[in-house]
Amino acid sequence: MIRFEAVSRRFGQGRPAVDRVTLEVPAGQIGVLLGESGSGKSTLLRMANRLVEPDAGRVLVAGRDIAGQPVEELRRGIGYVIQSVGLFPHWTVARNIATVPRLLGWEASRIAARVDALLRLVNLPPEEFRDRLPAELSGGQAQRIGLARALAADPPLLLMDEPFSALDPGTRRDLQAELRRIHAETGKTILFVTHDVEEALVLADRLAVLDHGRLLAEGVPRDLLADGAGPEIRRLFGESGLALHRLATRAAAALATPGDAASLPALPEGATQKDALLLMLEQGARAVAVAPDALLRWDDLVRAR
Amino acid sequence: MRRGLAPLFFNLSAFVAALAVAPYTAPLWRWLFPDLQRPLWDSRSWFALLAEHLALALGAALLAGLIGIGAGVLATRGAGQRLRPLFDALFALAQAVPPIAVIALALPLLGFGAAPTLLALVLYAVLPVLRAAIAGLEAVPPAVLDAARGTGMGRLRILAEVELPLALPVIGAGLRVALVLAIATTAVGAVAGAQCLGTPIVTGLANGNAAWVLQGAIFTAWLALIADRGLRWALAG
Amino acid sequence: MLAGLAAAAPFLLGLLSLAPNRLLSPRPAGLPLTTPVLLSIAVFLLAGLGLALAACRARSLRLAELLAVAMMLALLASAGMAAEALLRDASASARAMPAAGFWMSVLLVCLAGGAAAAGRGAAPSLFWAASLLGGSALLLGGGLESLSLLKEAAARGPEIRAALAQHLALSGGAFLLALLVAGPAALLALRHPRAEAVLMGVANAVQVVPSIALFGLLMAPLGALVAFFPVLRTWGIGGIGPAPAVLGIAAYLLLPLASSFLAGLRLAPPALLEAAAGQGMTDRQILRAVRLPMGAGVMLGGLRLAAVQAVGLATLAALIGGGGLGALIFQGIGQLAADLILLGVLPVVALSLAADALLAGAQTALGARA
Repeated sequence: MIRFEAVSRRFGQGRPAVDRVTLEVPAGQIGVLLGESGSGKSTLLRMANRLVEPDAGRVLVAGRDIAGQPVEELRRGIGYVIQSVGLFPHWTVARNIATVPRLLGWEASRIAARVDALLRLVNLPPEEFRDRLPAELSGGQAQRIGLARALAADPPLLLMDEPFSALDPGTRRDLQAELRRIHAETGKTILFVTHDVEEALVLADRLAVLDHGRLLAEGVPRDLLADGAGPEIRRLFGESGLALHRLATRAAAALATPGDAASLPALPEGATQKDALLLMLEQGARAVAVAPDALLRWDDLVRAR
Repeated sequence: MRRGLAPLFFNLSAFVAALAVAPYTAPLWRWLFPDLQRPLWDSRSWFALLAEHLALALGAALLAGLIGIGAGVLATRGAGQRLRPLFDALFALAQAVPPIAVIALALPLLGFGAAPTLLALVLYAVLPVLRAAIAGLEAVPPAVLDAARGTGMGRLRILAEVELPLALPVIGAGLRVALVLAIATTAVGAVAGAQCLGTPIVTGLANGNAAWVLQGAIFTAWLALIADRGLRWALAG
Repeated sequence: MLAGLAAAAPFLLGLLSLAPNRLLSPRPAGLPLTTPVLLSIAVFLLAGLGLALAACRARSLRLAELLAVAMMLALLASAGMAAEALLRDASASARAMPAAGFWMSVLLVCLAGGAAAAGRGAAPSLFWAASLLGGSALLLGGGLESLSLLKEAAARGPEIRAALAQHLALSGGAFLLALLVAGPAALLALRHPRAEAVLMGVANAVQVVPSIALFGLLMAPLGALVAFFPVLRTWGIGGIGPAPAVLGIAAYLLLPLASSFLAGLRLAPPALLEAAAGQGMTDRQILRAVRLPMGAGVMLGGLRLAAVQAVGLATLAALIGGGGLGALIFQGIGQLAADLILLGVLPVVALSLAADALLAGAQTALGARA
């Protein structure tokens, strides 16, 4: 869906902000760009809607090189969410969400219907929020509106630049779950930038790790955190927490064995091995139920590596 | 030596040189204004006009500085706080009355000459000083004042050794505005008969002598620009 | 304290002075003690006392403002009636003009009214509106007819109206001209730092040059221009007259207008502009939908300052034959006739206060809408 081919970008003198990165996010997946500040992850993202132009290489969206496309038209076809939300303070929530549909010249009735549908999608009652001003929203609500605005014209691709980084931990976890649900419902392709390792592991279908403008590693999170991870990856994910992060990339069901699990604490569907470990610690149990007839044992979990 | 002094010095020298050469430029003006009988301003020496101009402006700025800082100190003390609305009203009123109106109104009372100009200059130059003094004194952090009181300093001593020095940069900027304003506004005083660099302009206008107007205008504008640059430079360090 | 001073001033400095005719110097005149005069002076003093008391408490500041209005009106009425009484047994050409005490008192009452309004954080609109209303009522009722100022005004009615119209045309024309230059210049400066440096450098330098000198500097080149292209003269352009005045005034307005426009256009935070661009808004759409509405308040503030400055600067236009209310003032200076000077100054002050109030109103309306 989106593909970077050997793109580079240098600001002024010194080291390039992005250095010959080649990367692809397949359609319908969430690709996460993970890195510390200054790693070039935001610059890379901003090349996808041409807020930054690459010095070398090319960017393809839906198979077409974006360099030749009219820039405003390109951006109207890509959703964009940023950390500071960027809602227009003098417009109501409804008008904010309707920004791109208005630019595209939709009819008023179609816009109104779309706004209500999007507010329901991000779990905010339309009649309550439609006419509010951004100043009357909490941080989490504002970012939900930001997400709704990005989805307004139903773009197949969504760019999200640290959208949850300024929020409280609780709100952040809620919105991460919400994003996964919305992704499952809409099937969008999402390119998501974060510096938060846990957030990356919760969201990523594919994970790309950037450091000083270079692509350190890229792939499915489970493979990235497998035993052979290099020293830079180990440092970034935190040497001591690496094992836990690794568990977070694997499904609990993969280690399950048949057996009667009726009396054991039950894991939700799709839980990771990290969830299983935490549930055992929480409940003081040596095994948890993955399904009514399948259970995961402490010994298997610890020995799996 | 800080940057910017050399061009300033050059500018000032050029200004003084031009004043000195001005009496010998009759051919130039005769060529520019062939219709005029006496195209060169020669009724009074340029240096005398400059001296009178500066004396008026500096005197007014000095008076305004004293009054402005004094009133500013008063307005930031306990009892003087009640004067603040009065000052606000004064600012609003002064903005609506152009300096020439004040000079004109003072004329029948004070007569022709420098007096009405001085009055108007002081009135207008006080405002920026007062505003700066209040802003500067109010910007002194309360923690610093607490610390000063804690060491047992008296109120006058705190004012002289803590508050005024800390507020000095802001007050200095206010004084600069006041002085530039005074130097520029002094020229208008020529209308009321004050001798200054504006005199050739007003005399020229009254006698239909465009050459005098131009000569006066050049030197008045030049002086104002030099004063602005110079004071900016002096306060930048 | 202010009220006390205001109340004392007429007695210390004299309320009226009497002149044999409009040009000779006036002498102080005693207060004629007729009943209506005494009555209105009593009202004046009582209002002054009340004002002093009311001003001590924050809650009664609105009352204080109203009492200042009462003082002002009583003062006007006393002066008018006293003048009438004085002139009853004087020669027909005699003039009764308000003396220093009267003016000082008017000024102090104005300040007291303004201070009472400022004390509760408001503009003195109540004071101005009520004083203006009461003052015009007195005027129309004929209560002030005997004052020399009014006699002078009556004698020069058409002249004053023409000067007022000219003054409005001068300041309005300069305002529009400056707007036409500053708007596009600010837009240009927004994109190009070099253009900004040039624009602000020029605007700042002009601001420093004394207005009288700038008018003088503009005269010669415009005069030369007309000499080369005589056709310009038929359009009313010349070295002397309204053209250099309008140009000069407009040059001064450049700084407040351009700097406030730039500040207003830059008010939208960079993240917001990026969000707008990221959604595919064109530069023009961002300007119209984001930058302009968000910066409107700041820009209006600049317009307000510029409008007040335009009215004040237009006073000097008379020096170079531009006409306007300044012409009355300079004529008055020439004749040393205080009444004539006042007839020029008072409308100027009223105009600039009106321009200020109008745009302040627009600012409030904008703030309420947002």
